[in-house]
Amino acid sequence: MEPSADTDLLAHVLLPVAHEEDALATATALEPYQPNHVTALHVVEKGSGVPDKTPVEQSEDVAEESYAAVRTVFPDADDHTVYARDVVSAIFDAAEEVDASAIAYRSRGGNRLLQFLSGDRSLKLVTQASVPVIALPREDQEQ
Amino acid sequence: MNEEELAKDLGPLAALTIGVGTMIGAGIFVLPGDAVTTAGSLAVAAFVVGGGIALLTALSASELGTAMPKSGGAYFYVNHALGPLFGSIAGWANWLGLAFASAFYMVGFGEYIQLIVGVSGAVSLGPVSLNVATLIALAGGAFFVAVNYIGAKETGTLQNVIVIILVAILAVFTLVGGLQADLSNLPANEGYGPMLTATGFIFVSYLGFVQITSVAEEIKEPGKNLPRAVIGSVVLVTGIYALVLFVMSASLEPGFIAGIGPDEIAVVEVADILLGPIGAVAMLFGGLLATASSANASILASSRINFAMGRDRIITPNLNEIHPRFATPYRSIAITGVLILAFILGGDLVGGDAILTLSGAASFLHLVIYGLLNIALIVMRVVDPAEYEPDFRVPLYPFTPILGAISSFALIAYIEPSVRLFGTAIIGASVLWYVLYARTRATKHGILSQYIQSRDEDLPASVVGAADAVAPTGSDGPTIMVALSNPRTESALITLASALAKHEGGRVLATHIVTVPDQTALETAAQHREELDANSDTLLTDAQSDAEAFDVPIETRTILSHRGFEEVFDAARTHDADTVVMGYGGAQFAGGRAERTLDELTHHLPCDFLVLDGERLDLSDVLVPTAGGPSSDLSAEVARALRDSVGVDVSLLHVADAGEQDAGREFLADWAAGHQLADADLLVETGDVETAIERIGDEYSLVIVGATERGLLSRVIRGSLAYETIEALDTPVLLTERPSPRSLWQRLFGQR
Repeated sequence: MEPSADTDLLAHVLLPVAHEEDALATATALEPYQPNHVTALHVVEKGSGVPDKTPVEQSEDVAEESYAAVRTVFPDADDHTVYARDVVSAIFDAAEEVDASAIAYRSRGGNRLLQFLSGDRSLKLVTQASVPVIALPREDQEQ
Repeated sequence: MNEEELAKDLGPLAALTIGVGTMIGAGIFVLPGDAVTTAGSLAVAAFVVGGGIALLTALSASELGTAMPKSGGAYFYVNHALGPLFGSIAGWANWLGLAFASAFYMVGFGEYIQLIVGVSGAVSLGPVSLNVATLIALAGGAFFVAVNYIGAKETGTLQNVIVIILVAILAVFTLVGGLQADLSNLPANEGYGPMLTATGFIFVSYLGFVQITSVAEEIKEPGKNLPRAVIGSVVLVTGIYALVLFVMSASLEPGFIAGIGPDEIAVVEVADILLGPIGAVAMLFGGLLATASSANASILASSRINFAMGRDRIITPNLNEIHPRFATPYRSIAITGVLILAFILGGDLVGGDAILTLSGAASFLHLVIYGLLNIALIVMRVVDPAEYEPDFRVPLYPFTPILGAISSFALIAYIEPSVRLFGTAIIGASVLWYVLYARTRATKHGILSQYIQSRDEDLPASVVGAADAVAPTGSDGPTIMVALSNPRTESALITLASALAKHEGGRVLATHIVTVPDQTALETAAQHREELDANSDTLLTDAQSDAEAFDVPIETRTILSHRGFEEVFDAARTHDADTVVMGYGGAQFAGGRAERTLDELTHHLPCDFLVLDGERLDLSDVLVPTAGGPSSDLSAEVARALRDSVGVDVSLLHVADAGEQDAGREFLADWAAGHQLADADLLVETGDVETAIERIGDEYSLVIVGATERGLLSRVIRGSLAYETIEALDTPVLLTERPSPRSLWQRLFGQR
């Protein structure tokens, strides 16, 4: 094995994506850094004990659309779907499972209230990770 | 564990509490007073009869739920078995029924808050005056809609805790009250008529169990847990209701409940006397929890019904769009929210007892669904399709579902006449909705109509005719995808596609594929999105109106991509297109990086391709040169569609070798007859094919050429084959290519 494979941050990037638009934006933000390999990850949020916010069938459609969007940028990207209540832990577990060298994500932005309401995950993602986490730059059209 | 298993996270207890939590709501906390006043000593019986009717339907729902664990619950089964006409009725009844029920829960919630705060009476807002309870109900309704819109995560534990608290409060109440019960306290027996009237309006207390089936795909071991949860929850709440009612009527002196004022709540007053102030507080608390959890569950459940209706195209699937940040079906929830608030307001303004009006409407609509659900079960059993393999079977079939259907429909007769009229109007409106909107769009035939049509020789013509008359026309028809890129060709392409769709009873999918050069990052492109969107909007709006001129259903979509032509293939696959219509210019523009894979791609066409060279179509007569083969079959189909839906004259041309004109004529006549084009003009020429087409084609308004060589399309796209006919003719040319029939291997293992 080449030694660089272990130390290269971009050897295998895990790319958590929420939906088609997010997937396209996230993948495009990662594109300039030319990762060797990308695995797109979609976490289907489960209620564990209460019905989910969306039907399973619809969640799986969203996952497929997101993967297709990632593949418009990285045609060889793998995909990985997990079902979990705790999205951030699920991302860490997935990183371990696919043996990712780093997790790349793009904050969804928004003001504090919006972040609070939708459950902002940035903080937890960067403070509790077991692999390096890359925060991709955001280019907002409107300020 | 496979992925499907991972999606299942509801255990038996969670499934049970979904049913119990939805059912124990305003029904038992608000209605007992009215029930006792109406039915006297038979109030207990009124709740037991309601539970019995619910149980019959619960058995049917369990069987259907284990056979088809699909999102949408009752609506899904009715639509699947009885077709989209009844599906429209069940869908609207289910959606509006849940909105009425939520409005009812919220008014109950309002009454509880009002009692706690101690404000009562009416507030006048300009010309209208509203009850305080109504105002609180509006605020509460808006709050729970917002909670669902944002999708705040309540935990399963919280749901369990709420249900346990509710059961505990009611258990203590019955236990203490039961000790003081004295049969001589029972109020007078008011007779069976009033009892059934009471059953009619308290039936709203039994609306939760079907919600369990709508999350069937999330339940672990559904074959076992689903029937247990559905039947268990009905039995459990029926028992609780009966005991509570018994205690209320037997533990206090007769006339106590009748004497309770309009601003007081019977269960709270009774608890106050039986258990002291603590009892009253516990009841108030329970009432709040119960109404809130019922409303919350119903709002979510209605979005599932919207999803399933959208999937079957009975309503527009755009309603099911997921919020980019909150990941909730926000449009559906917002509309349901507006309905709930309107019903709360309407219930007050219409006068009379808002509680009874709303609960009556919710009961009416649900009884219709439950009746249809039982009929759906009977249809599934009679037709017995191969894929119908329920893990749970209704005992005593066919008596159980027949009794379930009859009793559900019969109970409607006991609902308040004005509410009944209103409910009937809603059903009538759903039928109209089907006729005017859904019929041309719905994609699914019911099992029943398939069965009738498959046996049309054994069944009376009137039955078959009736089934045909209501059958959806949007279904089974092909999807004609149009890849638009140039506004100048838009009208011609859409006209072609619409004519085809109209002929085949299909629909048009207009896509605007915006090809972004590789050098431009998609993000940069996205920054020009506004401008792009505007162009796209104009293009797609034009497409829409062009297609509507043909009266065919059309959907539109914008796709942003680096890849031009490949994206067309992808989109065709994703949307299950049967035919792709595109412009020649669009096909030629392929771009360098795609070239490598193009050969491979175009040798595996996902569907029929029609490529038009020409910007304007003025269809009056078409020429179809043919030498046989699959692509000329396609040309014939297109010509036929244009003849039947636009009224063009069709001429067929065959170029024979010199001296073989007779054989050529015979071939052409056979071919025309074989393709239902016997009325076409037949032309047989000799000499060079392309010269002949060029010479004769000039006199026509369109020439339809089938790609005789495999892979011809790919060469046209790459520009390596100068297709002289196309280049030389001023007449628009439509190039058709049909994929070769797939081998058995490909059919088994997919295209790759």
